[in-house]
Amino acid sequence: MTDLLVALVVLPILASASITFAGWLRERTGWPMAVLALLGQTALAATVTVGVLERGRASHTIGGFVPPYGIEFVADGLSVPFVVLVAGASLAVLAYARETGPHSNPFYALYLLLVAGLTGVCVTGDVFTLYVFLEISGLAAYGLVASASGGDAALAALKYLLVGTVGATFYLLGVGYLYAATGTLNMAALAATLSAESTLTVVAFGCVVLGLAVKMALFPLHVWKPDAYEHAPWAVSVLLAALVSTVAGYALIRLTYGVFTVRFFAANPLVDEVLIAGACVSVLAGGILAFRQQSVSRLFAYSSITQFGLATLGIALGTVPAVVGAAVQLLGHGVMKGGLFAAAGVIETRTRASTVDAYAGRSEDAPFASGALAVIACGLVGIPPTVGFVAKWYLAVGALEADSLFVFGVVLASTFLSLTYFGRLVQRLYVDAPEQTPELERISTGMSGVVIGAAAATVLLGLFGFALASFAQPAVSHLLHP
Amino acid sequence: MTETTSVLPLIAVGASAVAVVPILLSRSRPNLREGWTFAAALVKFGVVLLLVSGVRNGTTYVTPSLQFVPGVELVLRVDALGALFALVASALWLVTCLYSVGYMRGLDEANQTRYFAAFAGSMSATIGVAFAGNLVTVLVAYELLTLATYPLVVHKRTTEARAAGRKYVLYTLAGGLAVFSGTLLVYALTGTTAFTPGGVGDSLSANPVFARAAFALLVGGFGVKAALAPLHGWLPDAMVAPTPVSSLLHAVAVVKSGVFGIARVVLYVYGTDDLTSLGVGMPLAVLAAATMLFAAALALRQTSLKRGLAYSTVSQLSYILLGLAVATPGTIRGALLHFSAHAFMKIALFFCAGLVYVETHVETIADLRGIGRRLPATMTAFAVASAGLVGLPFVAGFVSKWYLLVGLVAAAHPLLAGAMLVAGLLKLLFFWPIVSAAFFPDDASDGARWDRETRQTEADWRLLVPVLLAVAVAVGYGIVPTRFPFFDLADRIVEVAT
Repeated sequence: MTDLLVALVVLPILASASITFAGWLRERTGWPMAVLALLGQTALAATVTVGVLERGRASHTIGGFVPPYGIEFVADGLSVPFVVLVAGASLAVLAYARETGPHSNPFYALYLLLVAGLTGVCVTGDVFTLYVFLEISGLAAYGLVASASGGDAALAALKYLLVGTVGATFYLLGVGYLYAATGTLNMAALAATLSAESTLTVVAFGCVVLGLAVKMALFPLHVWKPDAYEHAPWAVSVLLAALVSTVAGYALIRLTYGVFTVRFFAANPLVDEVLIAGACVSVLAGGILAFRQQSVSRLFAYSSITQFGLATLGIALGTVPAVVGAAVQLLGHGVMKGGLFAAAGVIETRTRASTVDAYAGRSEDAPFASGALAVIACGLVGIPPTVGFVAKWYLAVGALEADSLFVFGVVLASTFLSLTYFGRLVQRLYVDAPEQTPELERISTGMSGVVIGAAAATVLLGLFGFALASFAQPAVSHLLHP
Repeated sequence: MTETTSVLPLIAVGASAVAVVPILLSRSRPNLREGWTFAAALVKFGVVLLLVSGVRNGTTYVTPSLQFVPGVELVLRVDALGALFALVASALWLVTCLYSVGYMRGLDEANQTRYFAAFAGSMSATIGVAFAGNLVTVLVAYELLTLATYPLVVHKRTTEARAAGRKYVLYTLAGGLAVFSGTLLVYALTGTTAFTPGGVGDSLSANPVFARAAFALLVGGFGVKAALAPLHGWLPDAMVAPTPVSSLLHAVAVVKSGVFGIARVVLYVYGTDDLTSLGVGMPLAVLAAATMLFAAALALRQTSLKRGLAYSTVSQLSYILLGLAVATPGTIRGALLHFSAHAFMKIALFFCAGLVYVETHVETIADLRGIGRRLPATMTAFAVASAGLVGLPFVAGFVSKWYLLVGLVAAAHPLLAGAMLVAGLLKLLFFWPIVSAAFFPDDASDGARWDRETRQTEADWRLLVPVLLAVAVAVGYGIVPTRFPFFDLADRIVEVAT
């Protein structure tokens, strides 16, 4: 069964290569091949989920080289939900992209490469392999953003490339320090041998966090995100918003507690405080920046800064409910933000409205997308019974358990920040009068389906959020208190 | 006392939410659309009646639960307090359905489909608040109520309506946030959010600082919808909504869900003993008394009839809060009786205000002079209902206020009792000029502005019948209070909660 962990990464890579070759023979074969590959990927992810549910943590050593020297792939209750999210969301986005495109084979080759990279980040138990997968997903993402026509997209992709590479380099630097300190790259071995007090460890932690913060787009390292999401094709924005930063957030949990461990925070309380402060700044700054946006895509992108700040808060708090909350927050936000971009894509495709002002009265032209947008906005604000509420509940309980009333307050205040800008948007959609009625474009079933599915998932993940959290909880407990 | 697992509460809550879909689908056939509304209202009322009779025989209904977050389930649990609120709300919704049809069609309002759908959704959320089995479930329904009523507040889509809608959402969602924080604190202190008659016990009083903070947050959060000063600002502005909304939601369902939340917190989370030992009851009582007086005085300054009635609502709601905060069996009974009594009287008054608007387009108090000539039955109903709110005998308000007053005196709170009497006097000052000018205008020419109508042509029957029904209940309640289930339910609540 543990071979499947390798298959999770190998399948999309092989499919990606096949799509490239197939493109030489025949155009437009990418989409159906990608669907097949991702159906397989989803089935694999489901099988692994069942396996973890039945037998707990699974690990596989590549080529029989035993850690700490060989490379290890690991799946546990914490990583599996992210693997499922990557597989499921990328499959759903294919439905979204069916008619809007892009249609070229190289696009779908990159698409699957992104899936491979993201899945790899989730299943690897080795800090250097994680870097490799991070770069694979990063490069694929830059290419996907650039697949939109026009100079703006190229510029956004370039910006993304530059900032993303700097982030990855910082991460690699951190890995270098870790290797210098311990002589191993395996996470479990690092956790066992790393000295919590040494300055080298602190520097390594700083580099790793800095690198991942770029990928997560925490303030002020977020600059790539609004441009990339605004100018990428809609399908790409949906995919990136759902997955890229989410998986980086997962990596932050995994590395913080699976490599540096709770002892590190206990020995360096100042580091923890800096992380909390940074996360709080992110929560606040994201809200303020989002409020000022006219472009809906940018508004959503800035809202992500707040949401990832919240997840980081959970990670920094380091109590079991807080970290579970961070995981639920990451997963829930992935679904919801992907759904928001999908809804915005439908609204723009149908009515050509892409700014907050142009949204006035558009609910009647795109009723389902507007309804989904309103539901998901409630989810991101944290109104029960959505998944956003469940995440906030865990985070707030985690904050109380860590005796941090300040963080408790920040978690609750973030609700109000989100309300101000999402409220403005929903009011525009539903209450304000439209200026003129545009000619309406047809929307494909796939696009509508993804949007409605995301809204349904927002509520269902909330109602059954306990099941999700309970799935992750043993793994988180094990990670925090091995 | 027996506990029965049942899906009836789920039906009572869900009936109108399910109806939203066919209501939206039959947008092009108004009669069919309103048929769905009536069907949902009848099902809801019928099921609630069943539950009420069960509760009066000592049964508590519990639905299967859904684990939501650790230690907290989403569950509906029908006890006497929940049954009381649900009975009032579902009975009045049935009446309001008829009134809504008359009102919306009488004024030929736009977006009626959206209106009826949102109304049905709001009623699901309201009954959800009533039947919620723990603080988290209440919070879920409380937030959904805010969202479902928002489209109704902004219905007219004017600048004024939009501003009122913004204010409404900001106030009430901030309140929801406070309830959320308070719930989390209670959960952290006690490990549960379930409702226990008489309070959850010592774990709260063991940590007084946090327990007081949680109480402040919960009461503050629910106090937004209960329009406890200084959190009442949204309510007068929300009067921009169509009158049936003001009548049922902003005089009964929404505002009472706030009061109801505070009743849950006081009686079923903290309990009357902790309320005293933590010293949080008295500040709430003083705040309620202040709101009572302050809002009654502000009502005198209003030029718009609906805004005046809204301030009167603010004041009347605080009677209930006052009774709960003092928390002796006598005052709690008075408060619970006022909970239902006020609903019937105030909805009748709003119905009258709406009827006046539909028939004559008069909105301001000043323009009501002599209108008794044009709308004799309506204004008579108005006079009776307002007499009840002032506290005159033979109308429901007298009964509830009497119990409350006796309770306050018996609990040795003469100042609070005095405040109550003064507030009653202020109400008289508000209502008397309206009624007197309507029937006996100073200037005979005022009366002559209105054409005299026959009984048949006074108003659309769909508007007049609801008015008369609500007033009839209020009068019946005032004459034979014990014959109404509200009295019995209040008794049961007092019995288990003190």
